[in-house]
Parts: sequence; structure tokens; C-alpha cells
Amino acid sequence: MCALSMNSIFLLTVELLNFHSLQSDLVNHCCSFPLRQHVRSLVVLCLCCRLRMSAEENPAAEPAPVIDVQGDGRWMSQHNRFVQECKDAEPDVLFVGDSMVQLMQQYEVWRELFSPLHALNFGVGGDTTCNVLWRLQNGELDNIRPRVVVLWVGTNNHEHTADQVAGGILAIVQLLLSRLPKCKIIVLGLLPRGEFPNPLREKNAAVNNLLRTSLPQLGPVQLIDVGGGFVHSDGTISSRDMFDFLHLTASAYRTISTSLHELLLQLLEETPQERRASLV
Amino acid sequence: MKTWLCCCGAHWTSSGVMSEDANPAATPSPCQDIQGDGRWMSLHNRFVSDSKGKEPDVLFVGDSLVQLLHEFEVWRKLFSPLHALNFGVGGDATQHVLWRLVNGELDHISPKVVVLWVGTNNHGHTPEQICGGIMAIINVIHQKLPHAHTLVLGLLPRGKSPNPLRERNASVNALVQAEVASLSHVSFLDMDPGFILSDGSIAHQDMYDYLHLTPQAYQKVCQPLHERIKSLLDKHAP
Repeated sequence: MCALSMNSIFLLTVELLNFHSLQSDLVNHCCSFPLRQHVRSLVVLCLCCRLRMSAEENPAAEPAPVIDVQGDGRWMSQHNRFVQECKDAEPDVLFVGDSMVQLMQQYEVWRELFSPLHALNFGVGGDTTCNVLWRLQNGELDNIRPRVVVLWVGTNNHEHTADQVAGGILAIVQLLLSRLPKCKIIVLGLLPRGEFPNPLREKNAAVNNLLRTSLPQLGPVQLIDVGGGFVHSDGTISSRDMFDFLHLTASAYRTISTSLHELLLQLLEETPQERRASLV
Repeated sequence: MKTWLCCCGAHWTSSGVMSEDANPAATPSPCQDIQGDGRWMSLHNRFVSDSKGKEPDVLFVGDSLVQLLHEFEVWRKLFSPLHALNFGVGGDATQHVLWRLVNGELDHISPKVVVLWVGTNNHGHTPEQICGGIMAIINVIHQKLPHAHTLVLGLLPRGKSPNPLRERNASVNALVQAEVASLSHVSFLDMDPGFILSDGSIAHQDMYDYLHLTPQAYQKVCQPLHERIKSLLDKHAP
């Protein structure tokens, strides 16, 4: 099947779902299980093609380790440590992504809000969607059954378009859903960056827009945009929020963590019945 | 232009600036904005404008090891009370710090002590070149702030296991230490409290990515640093 025909099928499916008001919950209640599965698989397949989630079409969806050019093997060391942590720990929540995730663990807010939720932090500074995909495919999901995964990645995908980055994120989400079928996924929106308006802000916003509607169609997945409030009325970002106009300060992490923490509590508190009902 | 060759392999001109052909680590170079959000220049400009409004007694300058220090409690506890400014930029190598200091970051301030911590990002440079870069920075600081004392911090080991970068950083430290021994306005402080364990590894509890320090590791390294800065400030006092 060529990409064009898949695009048409996608559009047709979306129309069909909209026309019959077949939102996820209605699909669950009204359709028989096998039919529900087929419909959802079809939507996923269409999304994959439309948003170029397949590695052949989208370099941002191609798993790739970081090559050690500096000479101290730090990336692989971190990956190996995470794989080992999977053998030892039983996290309820898994955070995975780039330095936005990694740095969070160094601030007090992690100890206060997220450690108590039995959270593991698999963030690696500099990672792109390709790197995260590779890590998750190569051991970082083995032997663990987190109930929620928080995914925050994409701002380092400098070689890729917004379309491609969104596709890369979707590919990661698809992998998570297939490896952890009972898991709920929170995707954090990419933050604005740079002191002044610049193309990367537009690109990150475009990625978020692409994800906003497409993510929930994959399953129990939602986009949370924590970037609101960082850009002031004059278009600037303050170094009090991002000390280098990219990475968050302790106080900025605290601001975004409050709503994230609330949401995690909600998702973790859902009863087994509610959880069963939300499964496809 | 006449140049002198010094023992760490650096070429010096009569104006004290490293001859451009000789050492890339000592050639002032701004960071190019390849990503597209101009963050490096934003940081530099902020430091220049910061320096117009403030009167720090201590200036920290360097790479991410300096920059991150500012984000943890240890800064507020140990260094803010010393009236310190932080001009650290993640990713900076010696040539970037050199450019920043030559282009305004020292123009409006007169700190008594400048703490310099840079060199670990000089990938592709030899220890001699990195030492030359550090010496070039020391020279610029001395030209612009003739009464300031520069405290050079030793590069830390990095990587989970033994690797060439640890050797490179150790060599840089040895070269720099030797170079500054004869200079009264400079001193060297070894910042490693023993991060390398008996099996040769570095713990992620000290370096969460085997390069950057955790808050607890910063506590370990900053105590002696704080003491040294205080004693330098005391000496400086009239």
C-alpha cells in the first residue's frame, strides 16, 4: 500500500469515527472487542503512515545509539545503568527522555514529589527520539511494569522537521504501548526555548500541535503542555525559568511538576475496574 | 610578529595573546549558533549587561560545571554571601571562554578573585593546547583586572570507567599547575575529592552522567573551594 492510499484510509477512518461519535470510550462500550481492536489497529496503522512513524520514511523514528565521539563512553554507561535498574527495581512510574527529564532528578522536587511514587528516571542529556527509541528497544523496558510512563523528548532533534519529530515521538509511544499494554502514557509537550522568538520555538509548538490530537487516538495517551507561562508578553523567556534559555531552573521545575504530579496521582489511583475498562 | 614558545607548547606574542595559527584552544572564538535559538550569544549578552549593574567580589567563569553550580542550593549557601557572579556556559571550551572575556564580560567589574573552571570540553585538543588555552585566559584576566587573583580549578576525571579523557584531564592539570607555580597572581586548586573509586569507577551518585556533578558532589568539592576563596579575599583586603 502506498502512502497516498493510507492517507486516504486515515482520513476516511477519522471521518467515520467522528460521524459516529466513536470516541475511545464509545468504541469500547459499543463495539465488540474484536471489532474495537480492528478499528483501533486501523487508526494506528493510518497514523503510522500519515505521520511517518516508520523508520523507512522517518529518520526521527529510526532507533540509533549515540556514538561515543568524545571518548569516555558515557552514553552507553548510562544506558547500561538503566538496564541494570530494570533488573533491580519495580517502578510504578517511568520517566524517559532527554536532559529535561534527567536534570529533574537532580532537584529537590524529584525527591519530594516523584520518588514517593516509585518513579525511575531514564533521562539522558542530548538524546533525540532516535536515541530514546534505541534505549527502550535494547533493555530499558525489560523486567519492569510501570503503570505510567512520562515521555519528554524531541527538542534535540535538530536534523528533523516538526512532522518527523512528531512521528518519532509517536513511534516511541507505539513501542511503549506494545511492550507495556496496561500502561498509561503522558507525553510532555516540548517547551519553548531561546531568549527571543526563534524558529525552534515555532518548530516545538508545531510538534505539540501534531501530537495533541494524534496521541489520544493511539490509546491511553495524552499530551500535557507545561510550557504555558514561560514566554512573557514581550516574547522573552527569563533566565529565572530557564538558566540557559533551554534547561529549567529549580523553581521552574517546581511550577511544572505540580500539575504533572496531580495527574500522576489520578492515573495511579484509578481502580482496577476503571483500568480494565480503559484497556482495548 | 615575534612570538615566544612557552614550555606548555603555547606561542605568545608581545601583547600576550596566543598566536592564532599555533593553538585553536587559545584562539578566541564565539560559539556558532547552529541550533537556531541564539542561546550562547543571549547568555554572553546577559553576562555583559549583568556586569554593568553589579559589583562582585568573586567571578566564576567557565563551562557547565560552573553554570550548574548556580542552580543548586550550595551556591546560595556558600557563594552568594561572597558576592559572587556566575558566568558559566554549558559546552564552553577554552577558546569560547576566551572570546567572552575579551568581548565584554570583564569590562565593567573588578572582582578580587576570578575562579576559572574550563577545559573538559576541549575535544580534539592536546593537553598542551588546552593548557595554552587556560594560560591565555589567565593572561586576559590579568590584563583586564591587574589586581585580581585567578584561582584555576583542576579538571575532574570523567566517564564511568578509566578512559583517555581522564588521562587527558590529568595531564592538563599537571601542565597548568606547573605553569602557574611561578605566578603570584594565580593559584591552582585540585577539585577532585577522590571521585574515582578503588575499582576505577566513578559513581553516578557523584556524577549523574559521569561528567556533571550531583548536588551532593558539589557539596564535597565546594567546601575546600569556599575556604580557598575566603582566604584569597582576606589576603586581598586592605
